[in-house]
Amino acid sequence: MIYDVRQTTTCSYASPVAHARHVLRLTPVSRDGERVHVAALQIVPEPAHRREGQDFFGNRLTWIEINEPHQTLTVKLSARVAVDAEPIPPETPAWENVRDAAFATSDIGPLSPAHFLFPSRIVSLDPEIRDYVRQSFTPGRALLEAAIELIGRMKADIVYEIGATTVTTTPPMSFALRRGVCQDYAHIMISGLRGIGLPAAYVSGYLRSAPRTDPTRLQGADAMHAWVLLWCGTAGWIGLDPTNAILAGEDHVTLAIGRDYTDVAPMDGVILGSGGQHIDVAVAVTPAA
Amino acid sequence: MALQFPSTVDAPDAGLEPLISGYRPLHGVFDEMMDGDGRVRGHWQPFLAMLAALGADEINRRFAAADRYLRDSGVFYRVYEDAAGIERPWPLSHIPLIVEPGEWRQLEAGLVQRAELLEAVLADSYGPGTLTRDGRLPAAVVAGNPEFLRPLVGVEPPGGAHLRFYAVDVGRGADGRWWVLNDRAQAPSGAGYAIENRLALSRAIPDIYRKARVERVAPFFQALQAELLALSHRDDARISLLTPGPMNETYFEHAYLARYLGLLLVEGEDLSVQDDGVFIRTVSGLRRTEVLLRRIDADFADPLELNAASRLGVAGLLQAVRDGKVVIINALGAGLVEARAMLAFLPALAPVVLGAELKMPNVATWWLGRADMREDMIGKFDSMVIASAFTEQLPNAQLGSEILGARLDETQRQALMQSIRDRGIDYVAQEAVTLSSMPVWRDGRLQPRPFTLRLFLARTGARWQVLPAGFVRIADDIDARAVSLQRGAATADAWVLAHGPVAETTLLPTPERMPVQRASGLLPSRAADNLFWVGRYVERAEATLRLVRAIVNRVAEADDAAAPVIATLKALLGAWDAIPPDNAAAPATFTARAVLTRSDLDGSLPRLVSAARFAASVIRDRFSPDAWRALNDLAKLIATPLAADPTESAIAERVEAALRIIAALSGLAQENMTQLAGWRFLELGRRIERALLTCRLTRALAQAGTADGELDVLLELADSQITYRQRYVMIAAPAPVVDLVVLDPNNPRSVLYQLDRIEAHLRALPKRSSSGRLSPVQQIAASIATRLRTAEAAAVNEALIVDVEQALMKLSDAITAAYLTNNERSEPVWEALA
Repeated sequence: MIYDVRQTTTCSYASPVAHARHVLRLTPVSRDGERVHVAALQIVPEPAHRREGQDFFGNRLTWIEINEPHQTLTVKLSARVAVDAEPIPPETPAWENVRDAAFATSDIGPLSPAHFLFPSRIVSLDPEIRDYVRQSFTPGRALLEAAIELIGRMKADIVYEIGATTVTTTPPMSFALRRGVCQDYAHIMISGLRGIGLPAAYVSGYLRSAPRTDPTRLQGADAMHAWVLLWCGTAGWIGLDPTNAILAGEDHVTLAIGRDYTDVAPMDGVILGSGGQHIDVAVAVTPAA
Repeated sequence: MALQFPSTVDAPDAGLEPLISGYRPLHGVFDEMMDGDGRVRGHWQPFLAMLAALGADEINRRFAAADRYLRDSGVFYRVYEDAAGIERPWPLSHIPLIVEPGEWRQLEAGLVQRAELLEAVLADSYGPGTLTRDGRLPAAVVAGNPEFLRPLVGVEPPGGAHLRFYAVDVGRGADGRWWVLNDRAQAPSGAGYAIENRLALSRAIPDIYRKARVERVAPFFQALQAELLALSHRDDARISLLTPGPMNETYFEHAYLARYLGLLLVEGEDLSVQDDGVFIRTVSGLRRTEVLLRRIDADFADPLELNAASRLGVAGLLQAVRDGKVVIINALGAGLVEARAMLAFLPALAPVVLGAELKMPNVATWWLGRADMREDMIGKFDSMVIASAFTEQLPNAQLGSEILGARLDETQRQALMQSIRDRGIDYVAQEAVTLSSMPVWRDGRLQPRPFTLRLFLARTGARWQVLPAGFVRIADDIDARAVSLQRGAATADAWVLAHGPVAETTLLPTPERMPVQRASGLLPSRAADNLFWVGRYVERAEATLRLVRAIVNRVAEADDAAAPVIATLKALLGAWDAIPPDNAAAPATFTARAVLTRSDLDGSLPRLVSAARFAASVIRDRFSPDAWRALNDLAKLIATPLAADPTESAIAERVEAALRIIAALSGLAQENMTQLAGWRFLELGRRIERALLTCRLTRALAQAGTADGELDVLLELADSQITYRQRYVMIAAPAPVVDLVVLDPNNPRSVLYQLDRIEAHLRALPKRSSSGRLSPVQQIAASIATRLRTAEAAAVNEALIVDVEQALMKLSDAITAAYLTNNERSEPVWEALA
């Protein structure tokens, strides 16, 4: 499926910002199952310095520095991306074998499972989440089978509620509330999987847009979405969307991959100014004509 | 005194008897001073003989002198857990560890080899990753380490090396071998304290120190200094020491080392990354720095790319590193090799990387991420220490940083085993090490205590140099298991004995190309700001004390004529928020007591002194130890409890003592502040505050319809009675008093005199613009001065004084805007967007 992706991110400041440095993670890159035909960022005001690069995990980064006083910063992404859902392996090994293989791996490359085994900045390893996840991972059970059961339980047990949490809500907090948005679902799942020794990564991206009346419309469409990659040994990484209790497929467009939200936050920055700020994000992901 | 080191001693030296009688090594523990047969080891003999010759009383006296030296130098450490952030006096144990030359050479060789190994492991981990791909270092041991900084993978560290200043904790086992317990590669602490311990001890027992042929520490630091200088390429660039600031537990050491090595002490807020490098914000504008000796942990170094919550770092620093614009020591990410998990692999990596076995072992360690190790170690639980593989604390936080298997109760044990079976990657098992003991001086005799020794290495050119001394931490109880040595209860010096004569090197040498001179003119804006406020607070404290004294003096007269004067003075104190609002009817001693003790009032002495002290504490490196001590004495005096109903004389005594300290402080600032621009900001603060307060006093005490005696009080408060009497020899009259207190350019207390001084200081400050005209700051000062110079005493009315006060406040703001904050950083608000 080929999509046209449009995202407009607007930061509005209460008072003018004299100087700002940002790191933007708003450009998709080609990777397994996804090919980027074209992608461009348009930034207003025009940065005094702009530099492109990539992070350790292979995500595209744009560093910008703005020296002129500004009250809004707008970043527009226009991209055309082809998504090919990868085939789901018919069977996966017992989860313990995958865990032991991850512990023993000699791969230190960007997508090595070793990077995704440990607590990360926002995902601590919470014993309660671990015990919740462990219920699906009975001894000797096939990894993917257990994981699919887990996302089913998560969708049933956790209420999707915008506003119950913020970007800084930690997994134990949202899990205790049993409430949250896609980011919280993903963080909870990652915390629990890592808690039993399984490598899990955080994906930021998009879902295919659909009208609200469309019964196939997924939770999280028309906004930035987040889901989880689970390492399945020789079968590689498989995407699971706990918010919608489905495997990530042709409706999921990947933007960036990291250990948790803080690795892939679309916009980080240090600004010189006082007063608050407001961020507005508009997303449209439509099949290319 | 004979100075050979007999290799064996046949009979205990009779002269040592008083010192060593009753000294028994702990069971199963190697003792540094005494062998298993109760004989004093040869290399301790001369030292002990000289010490014994002093006699117990003299020993106590000498050791007390060392403590006094440390106290007087302001050596302290801060205890984090302490809510009040209290600074503790430095706990020096006065008996040094004595290391004989042959053994030292072995230690040296082992450590240099280890430094080379760690550098190679870092270069590989941040480079090709061969050790991991070849299966010699599990990927999880690298990736699981929070100090593995992914943004720097593939980036060669500017300057070419990851490690340049490295510390190792070693301990000696029961078998007499030295073992490496810990590697400190991030930002090792302790070297500054080692220097201070050395200075304190060598001054307390100079004769013994001289005769004992102890290796000197200065040459090592000279070499380090030369190395730092060589890394800085541009002549206009400064070398900085980046500190997390005064709330850090080892801040004293940061300030001390900066001074000792001639580096500029900076905080993240002082730095700014531009596209062509890293710069320091100073009162003279931006100045380049190319070399940063860092004492902040890497994660806090750059809020843009690392920990966004950090307030200690510099946005863009990682980019500057990637661009090769700044050498950071140690390189960001070097903390990777500190992890305990690394200890499990280094012995096997040495032959691969260096082609040789480790010369000195590290504490035997097993990483429990390996399935085979895991089951094996779970079987040997009781004899092992279980510790966190990567972090300070075990994941099971209630167990602390490490736990002896045998000390777990059954529930804890089951829980820990389950955690290890789930995530063995987070754990290591380590052999429980029994540390050796060394003597400490307690209750007039020597007693054995376990210790660890921290040693320091610096890369100088292509080779490593080891500081021939060390930082000894001594446990406060006799449990010699390493696991119980949490934080050293005391510290000691380590004396490495030299084979031949020791070259006398002064400890604070100044060779030709030292950065000391270059750095001295540089004043970070933040430091200047704090100096300015120290000046203002101290001046305010002095004026407040003078008011209290004036009140108490008048109570003694006990006549009704004094009542209106006292009321006016109370009103002033009330306006300065130094006494509670409802104080009008209270007895004068009551009022005075409030000013001296009420820490809930902004204008009270406790508040002013603590504000001054705080502002000074964040710029300790720019304060002479004497000035800092004076400020501390003042704080101590003000904090001393005062009787609930103090007598007038008790109050007068306290006020006089406080004023004496302030006078001393002013003298010290004048005499000892070598940082010229810094002294000017302190002075500017004092002068502006004095001018302002004198204006306010004049308005209150010398206006039309003043009560009897008010002019006398004004003269007293302005310290101008003697001048006045000499000049007029008559009763105080408004015009002459106002002339003397406000307009007389020759009276050091007058408002105009303050303006003259302010103008002189402003002229001497770095110019922020190149045009020949007066700067905006100078214009404000000049306009006030001119107004006063041209005024007649009789024309000085309330309106004029109010104008002057307002202009002075504007002047203070203008100085702040011009020098103390940069336009490009007006109170930055750091915010991570999401």
